[in-house]
Amino acid sequence: MPGSKIMVIGAGAMGQGLSEAIATAGHDVTLADKTTKQAERGLRGIDEAMDREIGRWGLTQADKKAIRSRIHPTADLWLAEDAEIVLEAIPEDLEKKRDLFEKLDRICPENTLLITNTGTLSISEIAQATERPQKIIGMHFLNPVTRIPLVEIVKGLRTDEATFRKAVEFAVMLDKKWITVNEYPGYVTTRIIVPLINEAMHVLMEGVATADDIDEAMKLGFGFNVGPLALADQMGLDVVMSWMMNLLKELSEHRYNPCPILRKLVRAGHLGVKTGKGFFEYDKDGNRINTTATVTVRKEIR
Amino acid sequence: MKILVLNCGSSSVKYQFVDTETEKALAKGMVARIGMAGSVVTHKPHDRPEIKVSAEILDHIQAVEYVITMLMSANHGVIANKSEIDAVGHRVVHGGTEFSDSVLITVELMSALRSLIELAPLHNPHNIRGINACNVSLPNIPQVAVFDTAFHHEMPPHAYIYGIPYVLYKRYSIRRYGFHGTSHRFVSDRAAVMLGRPLTELKLITAHLGNGASVAAVDRGRSIDTSMGFTPLEGLLMGTRSGDLDPAVILHIMAREELSLHEGNTLLNKHSGLVGISGVSSDMREIVEAAVDGNQPNAKLALDAYCYRLKKYIGAYAAALGGLDALVFTAGVGENSPVVRGMSCSNLEILGIAVDDEKNRLAVGKEMDISVDGARCRTLVVPTNEELVIARDTERIVNATKG
Repeated sequence: MPGSKIMVIGAGAMGQGLSEAIATAGHDVTLADKTTKQAERGLRGIDEAMDREIGRWGLTQADKKAIRSRIHPTADLWLAEDAEIVLEAIPEDLEKKRDLFEKLDRICPENTLLITNTGTLSISEIAQATERPQKIIGMHFLNPVTRIPLVEIVKGLRTDEATFRKAVEFAVMLDKKWITVNEYPGYVTTRIIVPLINEAMHVLMEGVATADDIDEAMKLGFGFNVGPLALADQMGLDVVMSWMMNLLKELSEHRYNPCPILRKLVRAGHLGVKTGKGFFEYDKDGNRINTTATVTVRKEIR
Repeated sequence: MKILVLNCGSSSVKYQFVDTETEKALAKGMVARIGMAGSVVTHKPHDRPEIKVSAEILDHIQAVEYVITMLMSANHGVIANKSEIDAVGHRVVHGGTEFSDSVLITVELMSALRSLIELAPLHNPHNIRGINACNVSLPNIPQVAVFDTAFHHEMPPHAYIYGIPYVLYKRYSIRRYGFHGTSHRFVSDRAAVMLGRPLTELKLITAHLGNGASVAAVDRGRSIDTSMGFTPLEGLLMGTRSGDLDPAVILHIMAREELSLHEGNTLLNKHSGLVGISGVSSDMREIVEAAVDGNQPNAKLALDAYCYRLKKYIGAYAAALGGLDALVFTAGVGENSPVVRGMSCSNLEILGIAVDDEKNRLAVGKEMDISVDGARCRTLVVPTNEELVIARDTERIVNATKG
């Protein structure tokens, strides 16, 4: 496993985090996206993330230089032919993922470890797009990948034991703690955090407490690092809503039905940290600007 | 005896092949970037030019195989056959409270070493990997572990205990251990030879000033105190490490900047010390240059703080020893920086220390007494040689077990 050739497909936030984590562990990684421009934009994103970490004393300039030298952006999906590990990290869209895995099935030799990084989609359904569903496995890393020590290793219905063992080895290589999950919508992390976030939004909507007080209560009361509403802002409100819709569709449970406040913010394009506004307001570096929440019950609801 | 001396890190193996009869290294080198892309082996036979080879080296077993291949290579080697390697000596960082001397590696010892991983999670696992690799590549060849901590093993309790609840010492073995022991021991021995007096009569302060730096108070051959503590972070200001600070400082910073444990740790270990204060470099040569230039006011400040901290330790250890026969400088900075030696020894006449400027200037990378004639306490420069100590210890232990 050490020395393996590794490819990450998708240079968005997740693909960037994965590439940085792999390179930080000392391995070369090819970062692929549809165009060279997109792949290089991903590399710039990694640069910025490392600069922030240097500002937090977690990395040195020398570390950054070494890590960066191991990440190779490309638009050539065919480089997957030489890779021993391929990680898919494109947006959460079943059809796009199935389409990609169908291509990878044609490109990659039979021993390649093919990993999909999804938080809610069905591994089995993605795997069915290939001729080798037993070789496909899910690894759900959480954002920001370099800071969160957990990965959920998700077995599809047909994933075989050898593939699972390779995934475990890969998790260990990246110095992540792993848990085993049998495929089921939302796995463990998404399944549990989504209704919590939804409930926080309902508490806000019903005028029980302000957004600040809700977050403060969960932080101080239960030792959360981040309150549920600020967490939703960080994850992206559109992403949170898409998880809810997926879980609602799969499990038909009312608790996953997106709170009207969430639907409203997403429609208005207030998607959280990335657009500068969600439940709270943020500057372009993602730091909170106002101490008070932007969404108050009186203004938005009543 | 011909001894292979190994210093195994997380992704590197440094080696020397030492002939204990001549006390010379027949070859030395390093395997770098183990388990990563672009592994590289640097090898230098004593009588031929250095070579560099790129290779795919995935683990410590392959690294040790490579070292042996290099030693036996037709063009660059120094031996014809594996059997010419009489023994292997390993530098092991942490010997905990158990080990006061180097020991033969046995199955029982390996389990003792594994139990020490909690104390040195960054170092001991790789040392163990190196030993396992030799079990595979050099079966039946005796191996000896030489501990960085062993020389400080007889430190009295009042020097090693921290002022925290005693139960934490019992529960997690939290106490001062000290490091660089092999180097402090080597230069103490040399100092006795240079002074022409038995070590058992001498009170010495040894200053190992490299990337990491520590001072030891050596009373008649025994280390009675040393500046590094539970980890190598305590004590002197170093290239990138803070050394001593009020423990409340890091708690305060971590709370204010909401830092993780990892970030707090790298802040103190990689962003502090000379580089942290100066913003210029962690390399003392560049700090001295920038301090002379005067363009970087904080370079001067870093240099001043470095030398002042060292001076305080010299004073403290002179008090701990109740006298001082010699002060010894060693390792990169100690052997090569007249500026640091001069500044840290200034105004120490009260301890009998007086450095001759001219001798100090000339003592670069060589053994020399740099005190003014008649100085009560001698100030010595002694190039360290940890590999030689490891080779000598390995020979001694192997011979002893042969009976």
